[in-house]
Amino acid sequence: MTRPDHNTYREWLNLDVDGRLPQERRAEMDEHLAACAECRTERDRLCALEALLGQARAAVEPGFRGRVLAALPSAGWESRSPRTWAFPAAACALFAAIAAAVVGSGSPARGSSAVLSALAAVAGMFRATLTAGAGLLAASWKGLGMAFAALLSSPVSLGVFGVFVLCVNLGLISLLRRRRSLPADAVRREGGGRR
Amino acid sequence: MTRGAEQPTDEDLVAAVLEGDRDRFGDLVDRYQSRLVNYLFRLLRNVDDAHDLAQEVLVKVYQVLDRYDPQFKFSTWLFRVAQNAAIDQIRRRRLKLVSLRQEDDEGDGRDWDLPSPERGPYGELRNQERGDAIQDAIDALPWEYRELILLRHFGELPYEEIAQLKGMPLGTVKNKLFRGRQMLKEKLQDFLTD
Repeated sequence: MTRPDHNTYREWLNLDVDGRLPQERRAEMDEHLAACAECRTERDRLCALEALLGQARAAVEPGFRGRVLAALPSAGWESRSPRTWAFPAAACALFAAIAAAVVGSGSPARGSSAVLSALAAVAGMFRATLTAGAGLLAASWKGLGMAFAALLSSPVSLGVFGVFVLCVNLGLISLLRRRRSLPADAVRREGGGRR
Repeated sequence: MTRGAEQPTDEDLVAAVLEGDRDRFGDLVDRYQSRLVNYLFRLLRNVDDAHDLAQEVLVKVYQVLDRYDPQFKFSTWLFRVAQNAAIDQIRRRRLKLVSLRQEDDEGDGRDWDLPSPERGPYGELRNQERGDAIQDAIDALPWEYRELILLRHFGELPYEEIAQLKGMPLGTVKNKLFRGRQMLKEKLQDFLTD
């Protein structure tokens, strides 16, 4: 079996420092180290480098965890998480039960027909609420449409509106251009770039 | 969720957070804060900026936590976000390459906090000198080596995660780390013989 060359042992030393030298190479590495003063020195220097870099660590400011947790915004996915839904769902169920009980207590029917009529009444209430909401939404859009129609009815207001739209677009374009003109060489001077 | 008495994995903690247990995100912060701050510190060269950006990165990760794919390591994802954020900040602020000592003179930087046993005036001076030398040696590395050295030694990522993060073959990662260390050893030889 041919022996690895010196450079191979040096690569193994690097792996060893990272705790990644395969077990089957261990005996061979130790044997080489016992015989090679140069590699022993290399190993010592690698270990010293590891220790030096380990010492050069900044301490994390006390309270960092608390600051991060306090800064957490309400993320979009939170509204979809099961626990977030649990409370509103329970509240809706409770409300529906109370409504059914209240409506049912006023009904002349008894037994299962009373429950059914109570549920039908609650469902009717929800349907009425939805219809009212949809009507309000339609009215809002209609109102907005009327406001736009009034705004664009005269040439002067049409012109003002056109200038306004133009200004907004120019502003956005200049913002985009400023962002693009940020020096890409800042990172290049650093010697790197995004991969 | 946990396996016996073992610590929950990162992926377990992420799953718990996604189920609404916000405090588990604090456990992830505990787990990564030191590695993240030190990695960013070496990139930004200012410990306050490193803390601020580490906080931004963690908040950003929280906001999009539902997009995390558990088939990859959480740490790989976290450090990818951190690296991109740091590069963006370097671009945005056009960071000047000032030494820590210069920052101290101007009063807008913070000193090293080396957990070294050396105390007293000589020890402090020696720590400062050593801290500057380490930063200078890291700064002198070509970017392709520096980023891997920082991910390995300050981000404490294993080879496989670095390879995945950088999209490099494993052999290339090992080779670049090997060469990067050789360069560091040459630059820091005065401190390796003490």
